[in-house]
Amino acid sequence: MTAVVPSASEVEEGGSRYDRLIQPARVHGTLYTDPSIFAEELRKIWHRTWVFVGHESEVPQVNDYVRKQLADQDVVMTRDKEGEVHLLINRCAHRGLQVCDDKSGNSSSFRCPYHGWTYRNTGELLGYPYNKGYGGKKQLPLGMGKVARVASYQGFVFGSLAEEGPSLEEHLGAAKGEIDRLVGLAPAGKVSLDAGWLRHKTRSNWKFLAENETDGYHPQFVHGSIFGVTGSPIGELYSDNSTAVTRSLGDGHSENDLRPEFRGFAEPMRWFGTTPDRVPNYVAAMKEAHGEDADRLMIEGAPHVMIFPNLFIAEIQVFNIQPVGVGECVQYSTAVQFDGGHELNMRMVSQSIGSVGPAGMLLADDTEMYERNQRGVAMADPEWLDVRRGLHRESVDENGFTIGTATDETGMRGFWNHYKTLMTAPDEGQDD
Amino acid sequence: MDAQPAEGPRHEIVIEDGDDDVTIAQGKVVESEFASMAVRLDTEGNSVRLRIEDLRTGRVRHLDALELESIVWLGDGHLTQLLDPSHDRWRG
Ligand code: FES
Ligand SMILES: [Fe+2]
Repeated sequence: MTAVVPSASEVEEGGSRYDRLIQPARVHGTLYTDPSIFAEELRKIWHRTWVFVGHESEVPQVNDYVRKQLADQDVVMTRDKEGEVHLLINRCAHRGLQVCDDKSGNSSSFRCPYHGWTYRNTGELLGYPYNKGYGGKKQLPLGMGKVARVASYQGFVFGSLAEEGPSLEEHLGAAKGEIDRLVGLAPAGKVSLDAGWLRHKTRSNWKFLAENETDGYHPQFVHGSIFGVTGSPIGELYSDNSTAVTRSLGDGHSENDLRPEFRGFAEPMRWFGTTPDRVPNYVAAMKEAHGEDADRLMIEGAPHVMIFPNLFIAEIQVFNIQPVGVGECVQYSTAVQFDGGHELNMRMVSQSIGSVGPAGMLLADDTEMYERNQRGVAMADPEWLDVRRGLHRESVDENGFTIGTATDETGMRGFWNHYKTLMTAPDEGQDD
Repeated sequence: MDAQPAEGPRHEIVIEDGDDDVTIAQGKVVESEFASMAVRLDTEGNSVRLRIEDLRTGRVRHLDALELESIVWLGDGHLTQLLDPSHDRWRG
């Protein structure tokens, strides 16, 4: 990783390091390759802001738990006996051992295999062997670590390692409406993410993924094979003739809004590539749940939204992106399941397998781009990545959000704006 | 239900009532003249648990593997304490 790093004098000229590296129409390659920037991202983004961790439906029963990742932190998501969801840091308070090792299970308490310290699934230390060595029972004010703040929205569980900061609802802002839109397509008004997660190790900086998720410029090139094989009409929505828009939702979130196209066709279930007669039970359940409004919901379809920094809702599937190092991340993916979704649920699973499964035709193509991108930015020249596409034709929509056309880099620019705000905030413990 | 004495472990207890059979308990029954407990493995959670049901009251408890292990190792004195009617249920 030897791309040219701006010198100290250059940095001072341009204000902060990040003012120099992040400009309106271009960003510097070292943002993806410099280990010191990655270390700073862990502190200022991943250990501070709200990060998507999992979904409540993964721990349906009291005392269920699943192991999850929050950036570099191994986290255990538990449901306690009162039904409350916790995010514990998977570390014993005695000598720091990793406590839980299975991917998932059901247990009211966890016992560390090293010396037997035992914790409730709320993280509270409930006992240890041979207690005389500590002067008796309940003598130690210790417990497993906890993610400082845990909150969920429509069952999506987020954690923040910072004691203080904006609430989850403030962080989500306009992206809340997109999650609501997804849940609106579930006849019973709830989604589950319990179909199991695929895990894709990716040799790429996490930001290439976050930026790509609402990049409407690449699908026609990168995804030609899946569009060709499936005869999908979606590819055409990502062209300069499309009425779809790329919208920066603020706070680093962005979406490709395909609704203008789908409204034009006014065909229910076109967004899913099917027709109502092929999914009759689902359509009937939607009509039962939403009456008059059902057709609109089934015409407009599910959102395609990237929620900063790591939750990507791609219509029928959800991605959870977690960084591993400056040049590596993991993409976890799962099919969305609509409560009361009837035959649509099985179709969403098989479509997900077809697109992001081990032999899937969508994610493999994106991932090839991510990894080549990472190799490319390690080269010294040119130093910059260009993000100006559509800058001259951006506008502001009726809700005050910046929008570009279907293929413009409006979402990326919104991402970098928010990224810069977070990265130029003072470090914890410094003057704030 | 019939009033015959229990013959040891049985399978599901079902009240047969034409089309609408009512299952009142599932699993095998551990029973004496003092108590009647249905016992079965439950796989609804993220790993298997023992589900035990007090057939006289319908009260249900799930026990995970670590809890069961703890019961095996409970000292007789502690188990006796739990059997004291005033320990929990009839505390007064
Ligand atoms: S490290 Fe966990 S009990 Fe010692
Ligand atoms: Fe040893």
